[in-house]
Amino acid sequence: MTDANVQPQNRGLPVKRSKSTRWTVIYGDRIAKWIITVGGLMVIVAVLGIMVFLFRVVAPLMSPGEETGQVNYAVPEAADAVWLNADEFQSLATAVSRDGSVTTFHVATGEVIVTDQFDIGETIVTAVGGTLDRRNIAVGFADGTVRFGQIAFDNRSVPASAAPGDMRQLNARDMVSGGQIYSQVQTGDFRTIIPINELGESEQISEARIVALDYRTGGTAERPTSAFISVDADGIARVSRSVIRRNLMTNEETVTTTTTEMPPLNLDEGVEVTGALLASGGDRAFVSTDDGFIYRFDIRNENNPVLAERFRAFDDGIGISSMNFLNGELALVAGGEDGSVDVFFRLQPANARGSDRFEMVRARSHAPQGDAIIGMSEAIRDKTLTTLSADGSVWVRYSTSDEILFQFERTSPADVDAIPMLFPRSDGVLMLDTFGNVDAWQYRSPHPEVSLSVIFGRLWYEGYSEPGFTWQSTSGTDLFEPKYSLVPLIAGTLKAAFYAMLFATPIAIMAAIYTSEFVHKGVRATVKPVMELMESLPTVVLGFLAALVLAPLVEEWIAAVLLGFIAVPMGLMIGAFAWQMLPQQLALRYDGMPKFLLMGAAIILSCLFAYTVGPIFELVLFNGDFKGWTNGQGTGTPFMFLLQLPLAYLIVSWGFHKVFGHVLRDRMRNLDRAAAGRLDAIRWVAFFIGALVLSYVVAALLTALGYDPRGNVVDSYQQRNALVVGFVMAFAVIPAMYTLAEDALNAVPGHLRAGSLASGATPWQTAKWVVLPTAASGVFSAVMMGMGRAVGETMIVVMAAGNTPIMEWNIFSGLRTLSANIAIELPEAVKDGTNYRVLFLAALTLFIMTFVINTGAELIRQRYRKRSANL
Amino acid sequence: MANPEDSISTAAIGVSTGKPATRTGGKRVRSFTADLSAVGEPALWGFGGALAIGIILIAGFLAIIAWNGFTTFWPKPIEQVELVDGTVIAGEPTRYNTFTVGESVLARLNDAQRQEIEDNFGFANRTLYKTANFDLYGDDFTWAADFDIANVERPSGYYLFERQQWGTFVGFPASLVIGGEETAYDQGLMQREQRAARSRFADIRRLERRDIGRINHNQERARLDSRKALLQYGENDPRYLARVEVNNARIAELQNEFVEVQQRISDIRAIDSQYRVILEEVNGRTVDTNLSQIVRFYAANDVNWFQQAGIYLSRWGEFLTTEPREANTQGGVLPAIFGTVAMTMLMVVFVAPFGVITALYLREYAKQGKLVSIVRISVNNLAGVPSIVYGVFGLGFFAYTMGTTIDQLFYAERLPSPTFGTGGLLWASLTLALLTVPVVIVATEEALSAVPRSMREGSLACGASKWQTIRYVVLPKALPGIMTGMILAMARGAGEVAPLMLVGVVKLAPALPIDGFAPFIHLERSFMHLGFHIFDVGFQSRNSEAGKPMVFVTTLLLLGLIVLMNATAIYVRNRLKKKYAGSQF
Repeated sequence: MTDANVQPQNRGLPVKRSKSTRWTVIYGDRIAKWIITVGGLMVIVAVLGIMVFLFRVVAPLMSPGEETGQVNYAVPEAADAVWLNADEFQSLATAVSRDGSVTTFHVATGEVIVTDQFDIGETIVTAVGGTLDRRNIAVGFADGTVRFGQIAFDNRSVPASAAPGDMRQLNARDMVSGGQIYSQVQTGDFRTIIPINELGESEQISEARIVALDYRTGGTAERPTSAFISVDADGIARVSRSVIRRNLMTNEETVTTTTTEMPPLNLDEGVEVTGALLASGGDRAFVSTDDGFIYRFDIRNENNPVLAERFRAFDDGIGISSMNFLNGELALVAGGEDGSVDVFFRLQPANARGSDRFEMVRARSHAPQGDAIIGMSEAIRDKTLTTLSADGSVWVRYSTSDEILFQFERTSPADVDAIPMLFPRSDGVLMLDTFGNVDAWQYRSPHPEVSLSVIFGRLWYEGYSEPGFTWQSTSGTDLFEPKYSLVPLIAGTLKAAFYAMLFATPIAIMAAIYTSEFVHKGVRATVKPVMELMESLPTVVLGFLAALVLAPLVEEWIAAVLLGFIAVPMGLMIGAFAWQMLPQQLALRYDGMPKFLLMGAAIILSCLFAYTVGPIFELVLFNGDFKGWTNGQGTGTPFMFLLQLPLAYLIVSWGFHKVFGHVLRDRMRNLDRAAAGRLDAIRWVAFFIGALVLSYVVAALLTALGYDPRGNVVDSYQQRNALVVGFVMAFAVIPAMYTLAEDALNAVPGHLRAGSLASGATPWQTAKWVVLPTAASGVFSAVMMGMGRAVGETMIVVMAAGNTPIMEWNIFSGLRTLSANIAIELPEAVKDGTNYRVLFLAALTLFIMTFVINTGAELIRQRYRKRSANL
Repeated sequence: MANPEDSISTAAIGVSTGKPATRTGGKRVRSFTADLSAVGEPALWGFGGALAIGIILIAGFLAIIAWNGFTTFWPKPIEQVELVDGTVIAGEPTRYNTFTVGESVLARLNDAQRQEIEDNFGFANRTLYKTANFDLYGDDFTWAADFDIANVERPSGYYLFERQQWGTFVGFPASLVIGGEETAYDQGLMQREQRAARSRFADIRRLERRDIGRINHNQERARLDSRKALLQYGENDPRYLARVEVNNARIAELQNEFVEVQQRISDIRAIDSQYRVILEEVNGRTVDTNLSQIVRFYAANDVNWFQQAGIYLSRWGEFLTTEPREANTQGGVLPAIFGTVAMTMLMVVFVAPFGVITALYLREYAKQGKLVSIVRISVNNLAGVPSIVYGVFGLGFFAYTMGTTIDQLFYAERLPSPTFGTGGLLWASLTLALLTVPVVIVATEEALSAVPRSMREGSLACGASKWQTIRYVVLPKALPGIMTGMILAMARGAGEVAPLMLVGVVKLAPALPIDGFAPFIHLERSFMHLGFHIFDVGFQSRNSEAGKPMVFVTTLLLLGLIVLMNATAIYVRNRLKKKYAGSQF
C-alpha cells in the first residue's frame, strides 16, 4: 500500500499529486550512479596506476641514453697534438702539440680562443702522461728530459653585474671575452671557464728518447707527492718519486726526486713499447709492447723493484696497441691490434703466475672493434671507457656491464692517428687527429651502470675472484664500482619467505582444521577474533621482539631450540597415545576443553623438557658446542641424523604398514580400546626407535661418503639469522593464513559433513576425506596469500635479519630482502639517481611478485566459491 | 572394557565388522571395537597442538610485552655489589641470564668455582646492573657474574636521580648549593628547591618554545614575503622594494624582541645556576648539577609501597604528557602519540569516501560479471601489495611528483627547500589511506550485505529511487558496519611503519603538525610516530640496552591503542550481527 491510497480515505480529501518524479531525484540518482561507478572502478585505476608509475620511474634505467649533438671541424693550429684535455662543461679544449705549442679552442664551434707556445728549446715532445683527473701532465722529450705542467681549467661564478662588457657570442650558450668563456646559468650569474696552461723546468731522466710516460700525484696538501714512470727508447723503465717538503718557517719548497730503474724489459729487436701505467698506490706499474706482452712490476719495495709477471694479453702475434686503467685503477684495459678490448684484474689465485703471488686474470672480454684499438680514454667518475679503432669507429662502452652505450663513426680520415677523450662528466667524446681535425659527440646517458644483465646476471666485479651476484649500491667515492644485482635480494626475500612458510603453513592450516572441525562452536567464537586481532598487530613490535629478545635467547639456547623442534611433536604424540589408552568413558567425558588444555600442557612440558635437557643434548650430539659445530668442528652426522628423523619415521611406518599393517589391524580389532591403545603405543615407540636407528645409520653412511650438511642449509651461526626471522615472520603470517583457511573450511556446506557422519564416518574421517578435499583450493589460496605477505614483510626483516645481502640457504645466517633494502636505502637515495631507480625496480619486482601470487590466489578462491556454492 | 558400554558411544569410534555380532539379552548388538586409525587421535593431537601453539605464542607474546611494559616504571631497589676483586658497584639489577663461561675467564677462577661451573655444563649465572652515571662511566650497564660477586646488600641512603641530560644517576646527594651558598643535604629542602628549580626550567622552556618560536616564525614569514614579492614583481620594481622595506622593518623589530626574550632567559639561567646539588657515586666521585636538571629523585631503598606507587604513576604521567629527551631513550612520547593520532585521523578522512563508494559499487550498482571479478582482484591486490611498495609509491608519486608541482605553484618563494616536495603528514596519510582502503571496502561490503533485502525492496516499492534507497535506508543501517571497517583500517594504519619511513616520519620532529600559527594545521610537516619510535629507540640509539625499557613501554602503548581499536570493532560487529539476525520481516 502506498500513501496515495491511504490518504484520501483518512482525510476524506482528494490530494493532488504530481505523477512525474522530481528532476532533482532523477539527476541525483544519475549523478550518484555515475560517481559510484567511477569510484568503484578507481580501484582498478589505483592498482594499474601504481604499476604504471613504478614502470615509468624504472624505464630510464633500461635505455643506454641518447646522442644529443655532434660537430666536426678543423683546428689547424692544433695539428700534431700529443695531449688533449677539456673542461667538464664541454666549453673549452686544450691541445698540446709535438712542438710545444698549446691551442685552446671552443668545443662547440672550433673557434681558437688562446694560443701559446711552451719554451722547450730544440727538442720535441715524444710522450705525455697525465694524472687521473687529467689536470697535471708529465711531458717527455726526445732528449730524455721530462717536464711537469698543468693543462687545466678553472671555473668560477661571476655575478651578472661583474661580467665584462666586450663579450662576444660564440653559440647559444657561450660567450667569449679575454680568453675566457662565459655562460649564463639559471640564477642569472655567469659561469666562467678559464684555461690554465703551465710547463715547469726540465729534468734529465734518461739519455734516450722517452717513449712512454704515466704520471700520478698524491700525498697531502702540506706534503704533496708525485710519481711517474718513464720508458725510454732503450727499453729501460724508470719509476721516479718526488716529495715536496714545505718549510713552515721560510715557506721554502724542497723537492726530492728519487729515480729507480726497473729490471730491464729485454725487448726483442724492433719491438716497441706502446704504453706505460703507474698505479696511484705506487705499488705496481705496467708496460705494454707491440709484440703482445704486458710487463707487471712490483714496486712496493722502492729500492728493489721486481718484474712480477710478463704475460701475453691476447693470442700469439697480436700486439697491444693501447693500454689504460679503468677509473679506480683496479682494472687494466688492454686494446689489441685485432680490435679486441680485454679487462684484467690483479687477483690472488691458488697457483699465481706472478712472483708476488698475484696474477693478472682476464676478467672481461669486451666486444671487439673491427680494427686495431689506437686510442682509449677512461671516464673520471664511472666505469665508462671510449675506444677508437683504426677503422674509424668510436665506441663508448660501460665496462662493468659489458655494454656498448654508443657507436660513433668519425668523419676525419680513419687511417690518421687521433687522440680520443671522454669529457669529465662522461657526457661526450672529443677526438682530435694529427691534422687538427676535430670530431665531438655529445650524449646523455644518465644510468650507464645499469642494464638487465647487471640486475639479473652474473658479473665479474673489480677485486672479486670470480663472477657473481652482488648488491652493493653506494660508497663514498667515485672510484667505487656500484653493484646493482637484485638477485641476492630476491634470494634473500625467498629465503625469508621460505623459512617463514615452513613454520607458518603447518601451524596455520592444522589449527584452522582443528578450529573448524573439532572444536565446539563457542570456542571457535572466541579463538577466531583473537587470531584476527593478531593480524593487525604492528610488525614493528614483532621485529623488535625478534631482534632484541628472541635472537639473543635463541643464540644462547640454540641446542634447546633444536631439541624443541623434536620434543614438541614428540610430546604431543606421547599425549595422543596416552589418551588412546584411556578407557572409553573417560575419553568421551573429557573430550573437548580438557583435552585441549592437555595438549597445551603437553607443549609446555615438552618445551620445559627441551630447556632442561638442551645442554645434555648439545653435549652428546655436538660435543657441547653447537656453534663450534656449525663452524666445522666434528662430523656432519649429528645434524643429518636430526634432519632425517621425520623422513626415517615415515619410511619405517610406511614399510611396516606395507608388510605387517593388516596383521596388526586384525589383531587390534579383537582388542578393546585400552588394550589396542597400549599396542598402538608400543607400535609407535618401536617405530620411533626404528627411525632413530635408520636415521643414524643413513647419516653415518652419508658422512662416510663425504657428504656434510654444513656449507649448505647449515653453516656458521650468526645472531640475527633466518631461523629467528622465519619463526617471527611465521608469527606475522599465521593469523592471515589461519583466518582465510578457516573461512574456506567453514564454507564447506554442512550437509556434506552431516552426510558423512550419518554414514558412520568419524569426525576425523569426515575431515580427512570430505571437508579437506572440498576446501583444498580455498586452503591453498590461503597459503598463497600468506606467502604474499611473507614476501613483502619489511619491519621484521629490517630489524632481525642482519641485512647482509648474501646468497646462501644457511638457516643460521642473515639475509637482506627486497623490502628491507628499500627501507634502508631509499631514504638516502638521490631523487632520479641510479640507486633511486634501481630501488624502484626492487619495489616493482616486489609488486609483481605479490601481484602474481595474489591474483592467482584470488582466482582460485573465486572458482572455489562458485564450486562450493553449487554443492 | 565391556562391549555394551562401548556400544553407547556413537561417532567417536570407528565401526568394525571384523568380529561377528553377538547377542545380549535377546538384542542383537553390533560389536564396536577399536580401530584407532579411524579416530586419528595422533593427528587430532597434532592439529590441536598447532592451535595450542598459536594461542600459547600469542599469549606469551602479549605477556612479555605486558610484563615488561607494566613493570618498567616501577622503582627498583639499588644494590651495592662488592666484587671478588674488591671493586664496588651500585645499581639496579635489571635482568639475569645464564651464559657460557669463556676459557680465559675459567683460567682465572679457583678450583671450587670451576668445579661448580663444570657441574652446570659450563654455564654460570650473571646479573645486569644498571649502574647509570653515564657521564662518569661511559656506559650505563655492567654485567656481574655470580662467581665474581663477593657480597650484595641494599644499604639505605642510596638515591636515584633522573636527570634532564646524561640519563640517571645512582649515588648519594653530598651537599646542596642554595642561592650560591653551600649547605648540607636535607631531603625536605632539596624537594622544595627542586620543585622551584623545575618551574624555572619550565619558564625557560616556555620562553624558548613559545616566544622565540613565534619570533622565528614571524621573521621567516617576513623573509618569505620579501622573496615572494621578488618572484612576483622582479628585482627593480618599486612594489617589491616597498615590500622589502616593510618586511625588513618587521624583521628588525622582531630581532629586538628576540634579544629581549634572550635576556630574560639568561636572567633565569643565572638564578638557576645558583641552585645546585652535588651528587656522589659509590666510589666517591662527584658530579655537580643544577637542581633544575633533576627531573625526579627518590631514596631507592627507603621508599615504601605507597611512595613507589606514586613514583610509578608519576613516571607514567611523564611518559604520556612530555617530550622525549636523551635521544628518545627517556622522557615521554607525547609528540609520537600526537603524530600517530593525527596521521590516523587524516587517513580516515581520505579512506572513508573511497572505500564506501567502492563497496557501494560492488554491492549495489555493478552487474556481477567479468568487471566485478577484476575489481575484486584489484581490491585483493591492493590488500596484498607489500606496505613498503606503498611507501615507495607515496614517496615517488605523492611527495616527489605531486608535492614538487604544488611547491612550484604555491610555495615558489621557499624553493629550493621543499615544502610539500618531501615526506610529510599529508603524504603519509594518503599513502596509508591507499594501503587500508581494502579493509574498508571488505567491511563495508559485509555491512551492506547484512542489510536485509526486504528493506531495500520495501523502499523501492514505495517509489524511492535507487540512490534515495541507499541514502536513506541502506547506508544508515550499514553505518555501524562501516564504522567497524574504519576502526579496523585505523588499527592497521596506526601500526604500519615501513611505508612511513619513506614518506615523512622522523625520529625527532622539531614542531608538531598542529600549532598556534596560521594555518594551524601544517600538513607538510614531518611527524613522529609510535611505531617508528620503537624502531628508532630499539635500533638506532646510542645504547639499545638503555632504550629497551622505553621500547617496551612504547610497545605496550601502541599495542594497547591497536587492541582497543580492534576490540571496539569486533564488539560493534558482533552487536550488528545480533541486531540483524532476527530483523528479517
